[in-house]
Amino acid sequence: MLGGLFFVPMLGLLGIMIALYRRNPRRFLDGPTEDAPLRLMRWAVGLLSPQRVEWGQAMLGELGHLEGRIRRMRFALGCVGAALVLPPWGRAAAGVWAMIVLAAGAVGLYGGMAARYRLGGGGWIAAAILTVFVIGVLLGASALVRRPGVAIPGLLGGLFITVTWLTLSGFTFLDQILPNTVPWHRLVQVIVVPFVVGAAGTLWGRDPIVGKRIARLAAMTGSLGLFVYTSIAVAAIGGGGPFDEDGGGTLRGTISDRLGNNLILLAFTTLVVATIGWGGAAAAGRLLRRTPPPTVPGPISPDSETQQEA
Amino acid sequence: MQRNRPPSPQTINVLRALAADPARWRYGYDLATEVHLKSGSLYPILVRLADRGLLETSWEPGRGSRPPRHLYRLTLTGREFVAALTAARVDRTTLNPHNRWSEA
Repeated sequence: MLGGLFFVPMLGLLGIMIALYRRNPRRFLDGPTEDAPLRLMRWAVGLLSPQRVEWGQAMLGELGHLEGRIRRMRFALGCVGAALVLPPWGRAAAGVWAMIVLAAGAVGLYGGMAARYRLGGGGWIAAAILTVFVIGVLLGASALVRRPGVAIPGLLGGLFITVTWLTLSGFTFLDQILPNTVPWHRLVQVIVVPFVVGAAGTLWGRDPIVGKRIARLAAMTGSLGLFVYTSIAVAAIGGGGPFDEDGGGTLRGTISDRLGNNLILLAFTTLVVATIGWGGAAAAGRLLRRTPPPTVPGPISPDSETQQEA
Repeated sequence: MQRNRPPSPQTINVLRALAADPARWRYGYDLATEVHLKSGSLYPILVRLADRGLLETSWEPGRGSRPPRHLYRLTLTGREFVAALTAARVDRTTLNPHNRWSEA
């Protein structure tokens, strides 16, 4: 079942490629018209708060006077770092702190169990992979929460994904260790809920781009939340329940196998939920474009009345 | 709430570079090259200095296809701040010749 579900993100990515091609075939085939440092810088400048817009323009202006690809790229990368940390953050700070707490919990729990059960080199390599993954998620989330109208719906979407997932798989720790999920539950968890979150994001922000960002943030927070919960389950139960045959039937092997399953679930849910959510946001965006805006009669000026009469 | 922490060695270097010729407008990249700072460190410093009223900014109009460029120089307050910083350093060095923190 889980193996079959790995086709879902692949199909999702294929769908994204087709959508990108259909949106602008020329750009897709010819490549971007701007160089990478400029595109990177434009993206970073978009992260700045309205009070710092002038500084973003200053960085862009300076880049416009630099020659040489390496020099431009080094300058742009530095500015991206500056844009990511430059205050004020406003409400986004709360979102980033929530993500940092989740990320620290995820890495701390994994590292703690690797040490407690002496999982050896393999366990520490997995912990290192988790740390790199979580840092990437944090960086991505810190960029997303600074976009207008994304932080709160994205975090709420993540909470919704986590709660729905746990409701369907069972809230008890044993349900997490030994999942007994029926196929339609998986369908709801992996397809329906992320799609709904993406579509709701688009409707919330009245813009599919905002919806896609909300879907990505929700995927990151939801997956991290699930990972922390399942890691707590492993920590609480420890070697309880039947020993895993995959882990060689030993306590250490069982713990290692359960933690490994959580790690795969983290990567899987992040990718799948983000991809399906992206699709939901794009689909809702199409519906929005088809819905004509309500016609509001504008004020009638004396001039227009004269023109109409003429 | 604005905090008045002592300036970092990197900030002091930027202030000194700007104070070398206070009337001259400087470009960000040139300043970064002079004080050996990456753009990621320079711009947050410039933002803080401007927020504290030590730095004034201006725009040089764009030429041809080149975009407008941001320029920087010290305000009067900035110049006074650098002078006070230099005086404090001289005092500290006189009192304790081993404590040359600002040259770190």
